[in-house]
Amino acid sequence: MRKSLIALLLLSLWFFNANAQEATVNEKLTEVNDKVEGLIERLATDEADLSKLNKIKVSGYMQAQYQHFESLNAQPTNYLSLRRARLKFTYQAADGVKFLLQPDFLPGSVSLREAYVVLNDRWTNSFSLWMGKFNRPNYEVEYSSGQLENLERSLIIRTLYPGEYALGAKLEYNPENTPVHVQLALLNGNDGLTIANNAGTNLNSNENKDFDNYKDIMIRATYNLSLGSFGGLDFGASGYFGSLKSNALKTLSSDYTTIKDINVGDAVQRNWFGGEFQLFADLLGGMSLKGEYLAGKNASIGYSPVAASGTTAAIPGVANFQNNFSGYYLYWIKNLGKKNQFSFRYDYYDPNTDITGKDVTIAKYTSTDATTLKNRVSGKSDLATTTFGFALHHYFDDNIRISLNYDIVNNEKVSAAGLLTENYTKADGTVVKNGIDYSKNVNNNVLTFRIQAKF
Amino acid sequence: MKTLNIKKFAIIAILLGMVGFAFAPASNKIVVKGSDTLVILAQKWAEVYMKSNPNTAIQVTGGGSGVGISALINGATDIANASRKMKASEKDKLKARYNTLGVEVACAKDGITVYLNPSNKVKELTIKQLGDMFSGKITNWKEVGGADADIKLYGRENSSGTYVFFQENVVKGDYASNCQTLPGTAAVVNAVKKDPNGIGYGGAAYAEGIEICKVKKDENSPAYAANAETIKNDQYPISRYLFMYLKNRPTGELKKYIDWILSPEGQKMVVEVGYFPVK
Repeated sequence: MRKSLIALLLLSLWFFNANAQEATVNEKLTEVNDKVEGLIERLATDEADLSKLNKIKVSGYMQAQYQHFESLNAQPTNYLSLRRARLKFTYQAADGVKFLLQPDFLPGSVSLREAYVVLNDRWTNSFSLWMGKFNRPNYEVEYSSGQLENLERSLIIRTLYPGEYALGAKLEYNPENTPVHVQLALLNGNDGLTIANNAGTNLNSNENKDFDNYKDIMIRATYNLSLGSFGGLDFGASGYFGSLKSNALKTLSSDYTTIKDINVGDAVQRNWFGGEFQLFADLLGGMSLKGEYLAGKNASIGYSPVAASGTTAAIPGVANFQNNFSGYYLYWIKNLGKKNQFSFRYDYYDPNTDITGKDVTIAKYTSTDATTLKNRVSGKSDLATTTFGFALHHYFDDNIRISLNYDIVNNEKVSAAGLLTENYTKADGTVVKNGIDYSKNVNNNVLTFRIQAKF
Repeated sequence: MKTLNIKKFAIIAILLGMVGFAFAPASNKIVVKGSDTLVILAQKWAEVYMKSNPNTAIQVTGGGSGVGISALINGATDIANASRKMKASEKDKLKARYNTLGVEVACAKDGITVYLNPSNKVKELTIKQLGDMFSGKITNWKEVGGADADIKLYGRENSSGTYVFFQENVVKGDYASNCQTLPGTAAVVNAVKKDPNGIGYGGAAYAEGIEICKVKKDENSPAYAANAETIKNDQYPISRYLFMYLKNRPTGELKKYIDWILSPEGQKMVVEVGYFPVK
């Protein structure tokens, strides 16, 4: 009986203990399960946050350089500088919606180079609408500064599209299965231009506003032609149709003889056309030939005369100036193995095709009333410039490019010695009168050594 | 306009002549990088080729089509494996860096396979249903004839060519935010194997021990599973070519290797790995 009681007691103890253990295991399991559920929830939240962060892309590059200038006018003749230090933030907000922001940080200044939003059409995947500040639709302008084979853009492109970027709206057409690319842009058209009044103040200093009510239109169409295993040929045409508001009462043409009346506020036309090609050949390790020709009419804005008032003397006006121009550039780029690249560029820009070098300083406009309109004599700004640019690049790694660039700059010459001269100042401060003579070639060659780091 | 003098012309001509004859030195080391879909096949090719060509070293790594193409643009690889076509923006970068349009070699054919857990009673889906599921418009299996359970989506990372191809051809928009991205098709297969409510996509070569979902072009079309015949006949609606991209037309050892890949011997391995030959 006693044995039975002990056995019953032990059995009961075991039973309660087993139940208690099961209860503990169940509790533990529930606890672990809750913890796992919590972790999964946290992981899902973290993943959602991470996917938002994945929509932001940051890239950028920095260019540090040493330059040596051969020009007599250059003081100092050599220096180290930061050419560009840019960060690009891209945010893919949703399918087909992109924002981009690109500031440029330079010692003493920070400027906004690009800021735009792009909406892509979701139905045909062919159209995109851009608004904000973006590259003007031109091959060399849109070609990244970090990729340029000759370190700066051609003179004609720098002249026609100062600062490269412009405020406006742009419609792009890129059909999915046709190698056609069409760009149509509506721009303020004043970006980077200086429009001075009679006191020399720039009236176009507000970079976030138009100078006038006239809008400029740019159109560019390109086609990519496959040349089979040889490579490919991209070619296209472009047109610029713009105007600036006149501040003057006269407009002078670049022949220095044709002058027309105009009202303040009337449109001064700036129109030009261009043709371009880029040939890529899988030859000797890869090479390309690229070129663009542009010609048309550009304009600079003068100002109207100010009548004498009290003791203040009259200020004669300056006529607007409409110049017929032409120019082109031609690149030849060759890869030297995987790490090196050579580039040669021939670049020509004639800002005034109506007169040749021999007519410069001879062609002039003489006002019938010098108190209301200033005389104008052709000069340095009418001379054509030719640049031979040689560049060698070494791609140190994925991020670093080391470049050596030499530009030989030649000017069109005036007819006789002494007709067009400039003073220059030596390093010791001595001024050499008429030391620069445009009847000869004026040395403006530049040597640049640059290291570029991008990420 | 200023005229050129003879001396300058001579300098330019010499420079042009010098660089015109510069060639990249030939090498017996071939670097292959890119598509995870192709990585098993690429490793197999390299392994077999190196056995019969012991002087050639072939290094194969994955990372995704985007990673491979970036490496090609940066000069870090000789061959970029890709399970999608090179994008126009990538071609522009190649043009800018190497002045070529690149060379595209189609080396195999693949059907993007849709994986289901074997316990799932759904056995076929239309392209639209798949698109709606992966974009988050359909969230419950009962909407496509399955059980009343939330759909768990498994996909690839955005550097993957399969991700891009599936997005462009099936999802046609953004992926649903709850689609779990996994590093490799094998990981997608494993996740679906373990999850009764899971669905994933990837290359045909990985579809072992898992239910393959038949796919219909639309509601009225017949459903096809990805196999050699349906892919060869273009019946399976999500099929694609797998590519190798090179900077230039191949020469030397690289050309020999590519020619071998396209030969019957190389293409035999395509079938062994689970893909489909191009010839």
